[in-house]
Amino acid sequence: MNMTTPIEQREFKIVGKSVKRDDVLEKVTGEAQYTGDVKLSGMLHGKIKRAAIAHARIKSIDVSKALAYPGVKAVLTHENVPRVLHYGSPHPRSASCTKDQYILDDKVRFWGEGVAAVAAISEEIADEALDLIEVEYEALPAVFEPEDAAQPGAPLIHDVGPGGNLVLDPVRVNRGDVDKGFAEADFVLEGTFAGGRPHPAYMEPNVCVADWDGSNKLTFWTSTQTSFMVRGILAEVLGLPLTKVRVLVDHMGGGFGAKQDLFQHEFLCALLAKETRRPVKMEFTRHETFVAGRSRHPCKIWLKQGFKNDGTLVARDMKLVYDSGAYGSHGPGVTIVGTTAATSLYRCENVRLEGRCVYTNTPINGAFRGYGVVQSYYALDIQMDEAAERLGMDPAELKLKNVVRAGDIAPSGHPIIGHGLEICLQHGIDVLDWKALWNRDRTPDPKRPHIRKGWGIGCEMHGSSAYPGIKEQGNATVKVNEDGTVTLLTGAAGLGTGAHTALAQIVAEELGVRFEDVGVIHGDTDVVPWDIGAFASHTTYLVGTAAKMAAGKVRAAVLARAAMKLQVSPEAIDLSEGKVFLIAEPDRSMTVSEAMGPSRGIPAANIVANGTYEPTKSYSFAAHFTEVDVDIETGIVEVKRVVPVHDVGRVIHPIAAQGQIEGGIQQGIGHTLTEDYVIDKKTGRSLNAGLVDYKMPLSMDMPDIETIILEAAPDPGGPWGAKGVGEDPIIAIGPSIANAIHDAIGVRFHHYPITPEDILKALREKGA
Amino acid sequence: MRRFDYHRAETLEHASRLLTELGDDTFLFNGGTDLLVEIRERLRRVRNVVDIKQIAGLSAVTYDETLGLTFGALVTVGRLEGLSLVRQRYPNLRSALASLGSIQVRNRATVVGNICRASPSADTIPPLVADGAFVHIYSRTNMRVVPIAEFFTGPGKTVLAKGEIVTGITVPPAGDNTGKAYLKHGRRKAMELSTVGVAVSLAMDDGVCSDIRIALGAVGATVLRAPQAEAMLRGTRLDATTVRNAADKAMEECTPISNVRASAGYRRDMVGVLTGRAIKQALETFA
Amino acid sequence: MKRMVEFTVNGEAREMAVDGCRSLLDALRDDVGLTGTKKGCDVGDCGACTVIVDGEPVNACLMLAVEAEGRSVETVEGLQPGVDTLHPLQDAFMRHGASQCGFCTPGILMMAKKLLDDNPRPTDEDIRFGLSGNICRCTGYTKIFDAIKSAAREMEASRP
Repeated sequence: MNMTTPIEQREFKIVGKSVKRDDVLEKVTGEAQYTGDVKLSGMLHGKIKRAAIAHARIKSIDVSKALAYPGVKAVLTHENVPRVLHYGSPHPRSASCTKDQYILDDKVRFWGEGVAAVAAISEEIADEALDLIEVEYEALPAVFEPEDAAQPGAPLIHDVGPGGNLVLDPVRVNRGDVDKGFAEADFVLEGTFAGGRPHPAYMEPNVCVADWDGSNKLTFWTSTQTSFMVRGILAEVLGLPLTKVRVLVDHMGGGFGAKQDLFQHEFLCALLAKETRRPVKMEFTRHETFVAGRSRHPCKIWLKQGFKNDGTLVARDMKLVYDSGAYGSHGPGVTIVGTTAATSLYRCENVRLEGRCVYTNTPINGAFRGYGVVQSYYALDIQMDEAAERLGMDPAELKLKNVVRAGDIAPSGHPIIGHGLEICLQHGIDVLDWKALWNRDRTPDPKRPHIRKGWGIGCEMHGSSAYPGIKEQGNATVKVNEDGTVTLLTGAAGLGTGAHTALAQIVAEELGVRFEDVGVIHGDTDVVPWDIGAFASHTTYLVGTAAKMAAGKVRAAVLARAAMKLQVSPEAIDLSEGKVFLIAEPDRSMTVSEAMGPSRGIPAANIVANGTYEPTKSYSFAAHFTEVDVDIETGIVEVKRVVPVHDVGRVIHPIAAQGQIEGGIQQGIGHTLTEDYVIDKKTGRSLNAGLVDYKMPLSMDMPDIETIILEAAPDPGGPWGAKGVGEDPIIAIGPSIANAIHDAIGVRFHHYPITPEDILKALREKGA
Repeated sequence: MRRFDYHRAETLEHASRLLTELGDDTFLFNGGTDLLVEIRERLRRVRNVVDIKQIAGLSAVTYDETLGLTFGALVTVGRLEGLSLVRQRYPNLRSALASLGSIQVRNRATVVGNICRASPSADTIPPLVADGAFVHIYSRTNMRVVPIAEFFTGPGKTVLAKGEIVTGITVPPAGDNTGKAYLKHGRRKAMELSTVGVAVSLAMDDGVCSDIRIALGAVGATVLRAPQAEAMLRGTRLDATTVRNAADKAMEECTPISNVRASAGYRRDMVGVLTGRAIKQALETFA
Repeated sequence: MKRMVEFTVNGEAREMAVDGCRSLLDALRDDVGLTGTKKGCDVGDCGACTVIVDGEPVNACLMLAVEAEGRSVETVEGLQPGVDTLHPLQDAFMRHGASQCGFCTPGILMMAKKLLDDNPRPTDEDIRFGLSGNICRCTGYTKIFDAIKSAAREMEASRP
């Protein structure tokens, strides 16, 4: 879409209102069908045997005892599954994926990787049979840190890719003249930063059910964000045409990015079902969702920036190393997006960036909300705070001076539209009276002398859609039924964000019918139009625009039909709230139902239209203002209050948008303070693969959140200017907390999670 | 999940016999909130469970001015937590009860189960140790009563012999001159296994500490007392300096390990902080 | 070895043979066919399987089906007072956006029901404490708190 296209203004009847979400009715009554609720007659249960070694060759694997175990129906190993090298994250037309996985290999690359699969008449029997599979390993030297993996002579984890344990060739971005910039700088800041390994920890463990029918067609229920990708890669690996693979997903219990991959168990489930000619269900335990799931890439960053004494940023030099774990998965995409993001956020004309992604013998890291940018903006924003400190400036003032503005070149290469970040930041400064907060009396409360209070600001921006890494496409089909109701068919998955409701709102608004009259059909690849998947904060932006286009087409057809029936020209009539009326004579009208239905020998109308939209990218913005309490005796940091100010363009469903922001804040507080999936650096074993030791903030830990959503910078690429919102909050909250901790105790942290031990250690060093 | 057989005991004698006769891999099943988790996570191999919840006489809670508080093996954490008697007289135990797992878990878990599991980080053990509780043990030949401090022999290990069953716990009465506190350190405010837990039970007479017991959880193979720290405090007015010195001593007396939850050094630091804070909180009873 | 067990689920009598090691959660989901109660961890850490047994909320994964003998079990499917009416909590969860992916919702609704049954006017702290055994990964809890407060007000107003 042409970026200069003006955004249509109108009186909204449905868009911008928090209509009741239909999908939630099923969720509050318990009727919502999730994949794990699928039960088929004769269904078997599959389980995966996982390696208890981080790097090894399988010398032999003996399944005879398992096969003989009563109730076991099939056992698969690398010796009897197709050996097809395949993508882990199969986005079509995408540079950001790696082809480095086999369904089962004779090599183990991380502790917990599947080496065999069993189908049995019960989950318990399948589980017990796993112990009867005897695997003999030849241990290989393992590497658990990217630094070690990148050393010359380090054991190679893969024999594909550029070598040296690199997942892809280094990503390099150069703008301007960095050396000249540093030469002109009045002072330079340099630091290293490190991000941990947070896990999305969606509530619904990965699960799938496979069923083959007599015509050799596979029906596959799976909890995925990308059902068409699952269909495509399953078909490719199993050697089937797309007509023979049907993927179904109704409700899903969260994904947060990680459920975009093609998982080992998905192939194995389909193959076990094929082998046994019976339906098979495979459901992860919570432990498996950690070990065999996908986490955020741990990242080490070196950042050097040059500043003028007036706060102008004149040079940025940055090196990032992402830890991919044992497979590529989203490593390339994360590295590209996370690295190129650092061209922006705070204006700088001279930028030199290098991003690397390295294999290690640890569980796979994949897509997770914030996609590489959580890491890079943590560094950029904290160092901006440090620059303010160095300059003796209020950080709000320095950030306000440096944030990107309209016309600046975004990471995508396009000019940024609007002053979204500036407006968010300024709005927060105003509503909180930040100046007063910043200049407040910092004397500790005598009643709680061990508590120090701090306030911090974190800024971010994030793109809707994965462009330019993936040339995306959004599709929608809209049908008008003969009673005037409307059916929207979409391939977009319902992760729980309320995207389907937003799409229905857009269709109703554009078409001119009531929201209640729009039904949404989704989740069946045999029925709905192709969809790229629900990720990259793009469903409302991308599929929303496609739905609006399709709705616009059927609207024209409905008007034409009504004009014919009313015997007027289509230009003379309008359509609103399900009613067609003469513009000049509003009392002369007919309902959409009357227009569509049969009459006087005219059959009912068949009105169907497709919308296809190929977007570039829009950017959403946020500034988070966060208050913390730091207990200087225990090191415990408590987030007390967050005021997140977001620009999301046109808001379609305010409550759903707020919910995205508040949920992202919970996850971001988690990875900044308490959440880290820990891998033992001696063995590669997981140390906290469970919900007690993987510590997500719970109801008593959450701060008060006062969400503010602004329609500051609508983007012409989205429906009425709407942009994404899903990923932004998790990016901004982290640096706001780190900066607030600095404000409280005068110590800078460059890593996450910032643990109580880190706080005490730093306070001691500071005191010494 | 691994399969096991379920047996329902009608009497203590029956349960004890099943425990002996069904062989190894047979475990008492009470609240089940630990045992089922251990089975699912393959931490314990279990062939048989013996459910004791139908046995009569194990559900009572009584209070006696001389004997103190006695509760049976089937009394859940949630039930004790809700008793005003516990809230008023045993605030340290109350605090431990309210911090164990979740409300749902507390509605199933029992205090007796919590102590029999003998985890060094079990929440209910430090206050029971600080209060000098007694454990009632049944066997088919005799009954015995063991001071709780002597009940534990190591992580996950107790003095219980095969076929022995804990029937209840007695916590001595709490006089008006006593102050108690339990402080738990974790990264979250709920759903936590304690990184360090410190329970204090003290008696003040005319402004002087006549007795004090400090019990330290999750910093040793079993819950530990801090006898040297206690000795430094007895007979003093528990002024800030004395308390600080005693807290430092408690840090020396504990023997923590490092694991994914915290390092040994940090645990030791927290023993110092929490001991001081727990004493202060216990003293607030008199304020 | 299977054992017979008789109990009521949402007021309806059930009688079935179950393995002694079968959890109440698996029995409800697979044998009774009430899949509203979710399995998020199977080890009592997430609260998604919260049901009310004889008036007390428990994790159905940490209770054996045989232990339900003679007891009354309430699940999310029993929350609606009538076919076409919603419990005020269900309605409030819809209006306030308290459910996103919905996987934690059945457990949280049961916990919230118990909370409001016992404490019709809960403070913010009461609500936070009451939900501390239920993990929600989508909402950040804010909207759940809003919904429970709103339902409490409505239930209070409609009480005679």
